[in-house]
Amino acid sequence: MSASVEQSPYQRSAFARYRHALWLLTRRDLKVRYSTSALGYIWSVLDPLIMSGIYWFIFTQVFQRAAGTEPYIVFLLAGLLPWMWFNGAVSDSTRAFLKSAKLVRSTAIPRSIWVASIVLGKGIEFIFALPVLALFAVIAGAQLSWEVVYFPLAIILQAILTFGIGLIVAPLVVFFRDLERAIKLVLRFLFYASPIIYAFGDLPAAIQPWAAFNPLAGIFDLYRAAFFPEELNWAVVGVSATMSVVILALGLWVFKRAERSVLKEI
Amino acid sequence: MTSSAVITVSDAGIRFRRNHKGRRSFKDLFSTKARRSKPNEFWALQHVSFDVHPGEAIGVVGRNGQGKSTLLKLVANVLIPDEGAINVNAGVAPLIEITGGFVDDLTVRDNVFLTAGLHGMTRDQVAAKFDDIIEFAEIEDFLDTPYKHLSSGMKVRLAFSVVTSLEEPVLLVDEVLAVGDKAFKNKCYSRIEEMLTEGRTLFFVSHNERDLERFCTRGLYLDKGALKLDASIGEVLAAYNEDYPGL
Repeated sequence: MSASVEQSPYQRSAFARYRHALWLLTRRDLKVRYSTSALGYIWSVLDPLIMSGIYWFIFTQVFQRAAGTEPYIVFLLAGLLPWMWFNGAVSDSTRAFLKSAKLVRSTAIPRSIWVASIVLGKGIEFIFALPVLALFAVIAGAQLSWEVVYFPLAIILQAILTFGIGLIVAPLVVFFRDLERAIKLVLRFLFYASPIIYAFGDLPAAIQPWAAFNPLAGIFDLYRAAFFPEELNWAVVGVSATMSVVILALGLWVFKRAERSVLKEI
Repeated sequence: MTSSAVITVSDAGIRFRRNHKGRRSFKDLFSTKARRSKPNEFWALQHVSFDVHPGEAIGVVGRNGQGKSTLLKLVANVLIPDEGAINVNAGVAPLIEITGGFVDDLTVRDNVFLTAGLHGMTRDQVAAKFDDIIEFAEIEDFLDTPYKHLSSGMKVRLAFSVVTSLEEPVLLVDEVLAVGDKAFKNKCYSRIEEMLTEGRTLFFVSHNERDLERFCTRGLYLDKGALKLDASIGEVLAAYNEDYPGL
């Protein structure tokens, strides 16, 4: 690294600059989040924990649950933690440009970094929250299967999907501010439409072919395969993977077309 | 350095919406290079062409709202032209909206690494220059103070110091020298002169004739969104004063 002192930033490759700026912004966000709150890390796991607690109580203590798999708390967490990543990244990307408008107006870094850093930042928080899942798995006595090797694949698919959606949402919100609230509504709907508190297989057979088009279904299946391999349905995963890639391609296209107008508007 | 152009602007134009409340359709959003001008839009710049060679110091002259800052932002690549092309074959250090890049909740130290990093410097490069940056900005005592607690003068000093420390061949300056006390202003001036003698290319927007004459050799006179005159700074200022006497 010491040899790079004389090297002009301009001479480094575009990819190196992208990675460098992406990492700087992601670190900035995490740093701000953790340096301005006393509980820091706790907040990123508290939300899914409390949600899991609530659902666990309602569905195992109040109602006679007919959905999900034992141990239900592990089943819940394995869906809720990635959901928090998805939900956080998509709702934050509605403000990707508005929040750092001044920086966007004064720095010539590739604009997609503003979305990518949100996806990466929330992804890192997700990874940091995984020990909680492990802890509950141990307490509840869930069996870890060899299918845990699909975990990284699920992370990659989710990153592709979330980045793609962020690339669509971020520029559009600049022009249609109403979209910010609409997205919140859609996310709430999506929470119940995705197999988080129930398993994909619990859905009525008539709905399943439609529900498979929700790319989150296959991704959550992959995560859960670590503890519930019998629920892994490769057809659903295949649809999810295809949808994720298509959405990313669409996102890149939308972003490219809207970029010029976004820069004028902010 | 070769004598080939470092900045090439060919037939560049950019248009903006006149009223922000105007309804937008999805079609507007995705139109890329439609040449026709829509009724609620105006061309902030149109048919602007010029070349800049390494080491040139260019002053941009014009009344308010004639596209000076827009031109600078196009060169800085923070705006994309609607027509024509702008090629910048070297790194650019932009003094545009300079205090905007800093984060309120982070300390001065973190902010220096962040902003310099976003402009392309590696961590080692920033570390090597860190003391100089702080010394020039005269805020040695506030290294671990959150940025939001700095005075506005300190903020500008820090920003100027960081951006002029970027080892980029092109420097863009947008009227920032109007701020700061006299002593610091003089310091900034000598820093800019120093950079000019090192062979940097300067792009300077100002209303101050003395500053323009001091730094610049060539002038660009923008009027009503068009490049009216591209000549030596003396001629450009003369033409400007003739068009708008008493300003």
